[in-house]
Amino acid sequence: MPGKQLSPHIEARIQELWPRFPEGRAGKALCLPVLYLAQEEHGFVDDEIIDAVAARLGLTAAHVSGVATFYFMIAKRKLGRFHLQICTNIGCQLLGAYDVFDRCKRRLGVVNKGTSSDGKVTLTEVECLAACGWGPVAQISENGKEVPLYFENLTAERIDAILDALEQGRVPLELGG
Amino acid sequence: MGLYDVKIISEHFGVPEAKDIEYFERKGGYRMARRAATMAPDAIQAEVKASNLRGRGGAGFPTAMKWSFVPKDAKTVYLVVNADESEPGTFKDRHILFWNPHLLFEGVLIAAVALGVKNAYIYIRGEMGREYQVLQKALDQAYAKGYFGKNIFGSGIAVDLTIYRGLGAYICGEETALLSSLEGGRGWPRLKPPFPAVKGLWGEPTIVNNVETLANLPWILEHGGKAFADLGSGRSGGLRLVSVCGHVNKPGVFELPLTVTGRQLVEEVCGGIKGGRKVKGVIPGGVSMPVLAPDELDVPFEFDALQTDTRIRECEVRPGVKFDLGGGKTLRTMAGSGGVVVMDDQTDMTQACWRIIHFFAEESCGQCTPCREGTGWLASVAHRVAFGHGKAGDVELMASIADGIAGNTICALGDAAAWPTLAFLTKYRDEFEAKVRSAAVSGAHKIGAAGHQVGVL
Repeated sequence: MPGKQLSPHIEARIQELWPRFPEGRAGKALCLPVLYLAQEEHGFVDDEIIDAVAARLGLTAAHVSGVATFYFMIAKRKLGRFHLQICTNIGCQLLGAYDVFDRCKRRLGVVNKGTSSDGKVTLTEVECLAACGWGPVAQISENGKEVPLYFENLTAERIDAILDALEQGRVPLELGG
Repeated sequence: MGLYDVKIISEHFGVPEAKDIEYFERKGGYRMARRAATMAPDAIQAEVKASNLRGRGGAGFPTAMKWSFVPKDAKTVYLVVNADESEPGTFKDRHILFWNPHLLFEGVLIAAVALGVKNAYIYIRGEMGREYQVLQKALDQAYAKGYFGKNIFGSGIAVDLTIYRGLGAYICGEETALLSSLEGGRGWPRLKPPFPAVKGLWGEPTIVNNVETLANLPWILEHGGKAFADLGSGRSGGLRLVSVCGHVNKPGVFELPLTVTGRQLVEEVCGGIKGGRKVKGVIPGGVSMPVLAPDELDVPFEFDALQTDTRIRECEVRPGVKFDLGGGKTLRTMAGSGGVVVMDDQTDMTQACWRIIHFFAEESCGQCTPCREGTGWLASVAHRVAFGHGKAGDVELMASIADGIAGNTICALGDAAAWPTLAFLTKYRDEFEAKVRSAAVSGAHKIGAAGHQVGVL
């Protein structure tokens, strides 16, 4: 049996993007986009996906693995259903991000990069999200797919509301912007 | 109309329909790109040169000069838009991407014609999923109208634009790391020279320009380079987008004249410090840049002034010994990315300094030993000082590590960790020393309440 395969959706994107790069360069150039698309479908990138990407793009598994481990947004292990990412960099730190982050750790019973025991939420401290004016700021993804919103001006009440919603199995879109 | 009311880029910020191509064109959009397609490339370059436009990504390098480094006989030239905004405290490019994507595209078209570029790429930060969706939708609209593709505006000129997403790496904002990433590899910076304008993407001449830099081009073409230069100050043309965060009443993104001082920015533009408190420090251009103390805020936030004005103290490696930037030059501060971080008088500067260093330690790409090892070491010493378990000599050690990193790495990330460290130590040294003294008195060797584990301490 073959391992994990790249889906027809990913293949279609490869076909679409391939001509955007010079001859002989497209395979390598598509390494990042294809890894990202694979993560959207599988939730994370493991060795089987690395092999599939390498085979399709004509790269070595070592190269693809090197890329996958370099970039922060590629998960190399299964995460919780929701991935809650809290910025604690300076703009957010000055506005109380560590209080928010510590509150998340306590409520979820995890340390940084940990997943709650029910498998619902992985908590990660992230670097500046370029939304510093309205910190503290969070981003959320669900099963490897990002929610294209910023959750800003986090207070104890707002982060509690976000955690409540995630525990109930939904992303609180109404709290994002 | 007051001076603060002139707008080049930000006029439509906050207008939801401004993302739509129809709205943009009703407001006069794409007229200058259309005109550029009929102009001689040299004529466009001449306007940009006359404008005194300087790069808005961080270095403030004159845009026309960067363009002039492309060899005249180059067959293939690439244009890459640096939309990897990740310098902490900076969130102005994100506003352009989200509120006015077509303005950026128009700038791309003008630059592409001026440089003879057939293939342009926007490298957008991976975390900006919301902005990516806006950008891609807007680009689809522009393609549908024939503004990109094989025959832009029916001119016979071909310009393709492709959006490429990063995957989370601060270093990819450094232009050579960005190119390594766009080629599909790890985001490793490359030695310069050769500069990208000579040998860049896939070995071909490549211009990497910041989002805000390019978004100024339609205005420059419409009003002329001289008008843009006249709006500016000294050798810097135009206005500047500044993003302000931290302890101010009114944070946000503001388009301002370059003559505005730090004090005006805090007091007038941003409504002063929250709770009526006083300012303790202001970082003028992203956390890479040396912090300004309250008595240094009357200098205009302009590229040259921030580097040379003697009202700003020179950074020191120890009291009385100035840090050598190379060639005997000293370091005051720089305008950087326009990301302003304002700290009030209750801010613990040792903790702010640690957080900045921690960031660089997290984001070091690992190629150069002084940066890879130095930033982690510096972060661990800064952490123990900041959280009450510093040891005698730690303040000197921090300065010594920073001095050992600076100037000894392929790219500027090492400097970016060292400079703010030296600035914090130069201007708030008493606070660092007091932290170490109180640790010695209390015998505290555990992490304080605000503690944060950073590997082995």
